[in-house]
This record gives sequence, structure tokens and C-alpha cells, in this order.
Amino acid sequence: MADLKSSLKDAVRKLARQTSVDSLKKRGVKQVNVLGLDRIVSLIDEAVHRSLRHKLLSSEREAVVDATKEEFLKLLRSNEELRARQERAEEESNNLRLEMQRLQGEIDERVAEASVDLVAGYEGENAQILLQIQSLFANAKGADDPGLVAKVQELVVKLVTEQRHEVEIAQAAARDREIHNLQRRLKKLNDSLEFTEQKLDEVSRMKNVEEGVASVYRDVQGLKGGGQEVERKKELMAGLFAANMKLQKGG
Amino acid sequence: MSDETTNANDESAAGKDHGVLYIGMDLGTSRTSVSASNGVRETVYSIVGYPKDVVSRKLLKKDVLFGKEALEKRMSLKMYKPLEKGVLKYSDGDEQERMEVEKAAQDLIREAIRMAKPRKDELVYAVIGAPAQASINNKEAIIEAARATVDSVMLCSEPFAVAYGLDMLEDALVIDIGAGTTDLCRMHGTMPDEADQVTIRIAGDSVDGKLAELVEASCPGAKFSVQMIKDIKERYAYLGDPPERVKVTFPVDGRPTEFDITAEVKEACSVLVDPIVEGLRSLIASFDPEFQHKLRDRVLLAGGGSMIKGLDTAIEQAMHRDLGGGKVIRCEEPIYGGANGALKIAHDMPEEYWEQLK
Repeated sequence: MADLKSSLKDAVRKLARQTSVDSLKKRGVKQVNVLGLDRIVSLIDEAVHRSLRHKLLSSEREAVVDATKEEFLKLLRSNEELRARQERAEEESNNLRLEMQRLQGEIDERVAEASVDLVAGYEGENAQILLQIQSLFANAKGADDPGLVAKVQELVVKLVTEQRHEVEIAQAAARDREIHNLQRRLKKLNDSLEFTEQKLDEVSRMKNVEEGVASVYRDVQGLKGGGQEVERKKELMAGLFAANMKLQKGG
Repeated sequence: MSDETTNANDESAAGKDHGVLYIGMDLGTSRTSVSASNGVRETVYSIVGYPKDVVSRKLLKKDVLFGKEALEKRMSLKMYKPLEKGVLKYSDGDEQERMEVEKAAQDLIREAIRMAKPRKDELVYAVIGAPAQASINNKEAIIEAARATVDSVMLCSEPFAVAYGLDMLEDALVIDIGAGTTDLCRMHGTMPDEADQVTIRIAGDSVDGKLAELVEASCPGAKFSVQMIKDIKERYAYLGDPPERVKVTFPVDGRPTEFDITAEVKEACSVLVDPIVEGLRSLIASFDPEFQHKLRDRVLLAGGGSMIKGLDTAIEQAMHRDLGGGKVIRCEEPIYGGANGALKIAHDMPEEYWEQLK
């Protein structure tokens, strides 16, 4: 029973809603009645026992107390389990987000690499090749025909350009494959994140099952009675309804 | 609540497994307030903030923050004040911005409904006091947002909700001073139409703007933010004789320095008076001459702006000067006047109307 009492205390503490002194003041509350945690727990305890005493035999009473205790502890455990699930889901979700950020960065990098201007680099290389051919012909015997030099230069540059083009195509294909793979991974991560967040949302909803505060009304009210004032209000309500009907249903 | 309300059904809520929760909401530029038939009354600044990036989200542990909490964490948030001048605010033609603002407005409405603490096993019927001049698109967005969490929803104009809440349905003029707009509404026993309403774009924010301008001129070197000016206004705003000296502290070159801005506060607040009296004049002058005096003698001052001390007397004096007389009554609950009125409308609305709007 001591276990149950401490669990009860724990539960009351967890379920209590916090409010600030300022917000109470704002509502015009100047004084509050204070009820200690021990007192609340003993009141619950006493209430349960009194109620059982009137209705049950001693043996039944004990069975009900045990069953209630078990159910209560089960509820508490499930609450803790929910919290752990929420924490796990939150962590998973954050990790996924970070991984997505990293992948997106990688994709951006690859795309930037692809758009680097190669032309300037090729121009320098071409100049170097032409210079080397020129110096080769200058040192070779009987190869002083300027037309021949130009032709050889043209041929070599053409060959090199073709080779470069092939390499570029191969590189671009490799890069595209890489980007495509990264994008697929990103998509999978995105789906996974969506799923995790859904789970997180579900867990949060389960965990924060706010009971809410019950309305004072059991049925729909509406204006009742007769008299000039009520009739006038009924007309106003009808006018307001008509305007809303037009807005929401178009008629 | 009206007599009908209090007598209608005071069954104990205990032990029931089903019920009807009415929610009245005042969706304002500065604040959004809710009153519900379970006794809950809450208000939140109409500010919505979303974490700027993954790090902020991890730190804040929330996808969206509202009101004061959003203001306090604004450095880590992308902030939205979705209602400007009383309507959803976005630049024309900017589709992305429009979607973001609508989402912020919808999140704000959902939060307001959540604040009313509805039970899952109850029918929830809500009446939302929306700005009189909100566009059809704006109204549709508001309804769409509310529908996600309530069973049936209706919109009504804010000043009408205030008047209904106080049973001032006939021969009365309502002045609802918000942050973005001041709405004037003539009540004559039927649903007010466009001719019965005047919207003035001089309201609480205009007082802030004027006060900032005056403080800048009279407090050399003082550094301040819009929020600081708002806080000063909310605490000290007055017209007529000052109830106390307005002494505030602003940093000057990093050093806290005290300034007396009593005169500046009064001058800033006075920007409201003449436009309001002008609006009253147009509503009174276009009314049946036989009953004009009745309207003039039943002017209700409501909304957050009505908390300015001495504003009722200042308007009365200006009415005497310009309109030959008048009587101004102050709404007792400026923050919740609109929400309470909307709640009363929700309560009085017949069941078949709610059913048809489901």
C-alpha cells in the first residue's frame, strides 16, 4: 500500500496543471485554498475505502483493492513507457533532420562542382600543348614548314578536345549517378522523418491526453421562451445563420 | 450570460459522458481571447513563431510557439503576426507569403480552441468574432482552421458580438478599439449591415507609433523597441488629468536612464479621439433623426483600447463639443467583451442552425 501511495502522489504531481501567480492575479484571484499532496492522497485513499466498505464484503474488497492497485500501477508504467517512446522518437527525428541537412549539403556541393567553369582551365592547357609542339618542331630537322606545324597543332588540339569531351561525359554521368543516389537517400530520409514525426505526434497525443474541462451543458441550448426580447434575438440569430450559410455553403 | 442561459441548464457536469461545449472567440490583431461554457477564459497575444532551423527546433522542442512564449524566444523563431489591421496580412501576389500567413492564422485559431480545453467526448460549437472588414478569403481561411477542431463554427462581426454580450441590441453605438482597427457599429435591433459599420484604421498600433515618435523626439539617445512602447502604453495610457507621473527607464549609451514621458503618453493617446467622434458623427447623422439622440446617449466603449484611462470622458467631451452631447459607457471586461458576446451568441443559436453548418 505504501507503494501505491507514493505512486498516487507521483500521479497527482504529474497530472497537476501549473499556473503562475500572475495568471491567477489576471483572473482576479487574490486568495487560493491550499491542499497538501499528502492530504489529497489520503482523501483519495479514504474515499475508495469508504465506497468499497459500503458496497462489498471484506474478501471482495481486498480483491478489488488489489485489482485497482494493479491497474493503477499498470497505467503509471504505460505512461512512463509512452514518455520513453516519445523521447526515442524525438531523438530519431532530430538525427534524421541532421542527416538530411548533411546530405543536402553534399548535393549542393556536387552541383556546385559540376558547374565549375572548365573552359578557363582548358584554355591554359591548350596554350601549353601548342607551345610544346612548336618547340618540338623547332628542334626537329627539316620540319620548319609553318603550315605543317599549324596542321599538327590543330590535329593534336582536336584529339585532346575529343578526349576531354569523352571524359567530361563520363564524369558527368558519374556525378549524376551520385546526385541521383543522394537524392534517393534524401527522399527515403524524408519519408522516414515524416513517419517518425507522425509517431511522435501520436505518442504526444497519447501522453498529453488532456481530459479537458466539461461544459456545464449536456444538450444544445438555443433561445427558449417567448417575449419581445427573445423574438428579436431569434431574428438576429436567423440573420447571422443566413450570412454564415452563404459563406460556408454558398447558399 | 443572459437569464435564458443561466436558467436553461445548470445540470452538474459530473458523471456525464457527453455534452455540448460552446466557445466564443475574439480573433484580434493584438490578442486572441476565448470564453467557453466550461468556465475557461484565456487570452494569448496573436503572435505565432516557428523554429528557424533544426538547431532551434531541437532546442525549443516545439514546432510552433504562441504569444508571450514566442516573443520571448523570438531570436530562434520565424515570427508571424497574422492579423494586421484586423485581416490576414500578406503582400498581394506573394503566394508563398500568403500560405505562410494563413498557416500561422490557422495554427493560432487551433491553439485558441485548445486553450478552451474541450473534452473529446463533447460537441464543440464555436462563434468567432472576426473583423468586420475581413475579406471572404480571410473568413474562409478562419473557418477552415476552426473546422479541424470544432463540430460547427460561425463567424460574426466583433462589435456585434460585444453589443450582443451586453444586451445592447437597440439604439446603441459600439466602439471596439483593437490594435489594428477601431470598429464602430450601430445597433438598432436587427443584424447590422455595412451601412451600420465604420472601420477606422487608427487604433492601438497608431497610439504606439505616435508614442514612439514622441519619445524619440523628447528622450535624446534613448533606445527602445516597439514592445517596450506597447508595455508602457498598456501600463500608463491615459487622457485627462494624469493619475500618476509616467517615469520610465530607457538605456542611453548602454546606461539605464529615467525619463518623464507623462505629456507624451497623453498626446499619443489623444490621436484616437477625433477620428472616433468623426465616425460616430457619420453613424448618428445617417440614422433616423427621431432616434439620433438615443444613439448618442448610448455609446459603448470596448476592446483593448478602451483600457486607456479617461478615454470615455475624453470622447464624451468631444461629443459635447462636436455633436451637442453624448454618453459613453465603458465595457467592464475589455479583453473578454468580444469573446463573452460570441459565447452568448453560440449559446443562443438554435440547434438546427448548428446542425446545418456541420
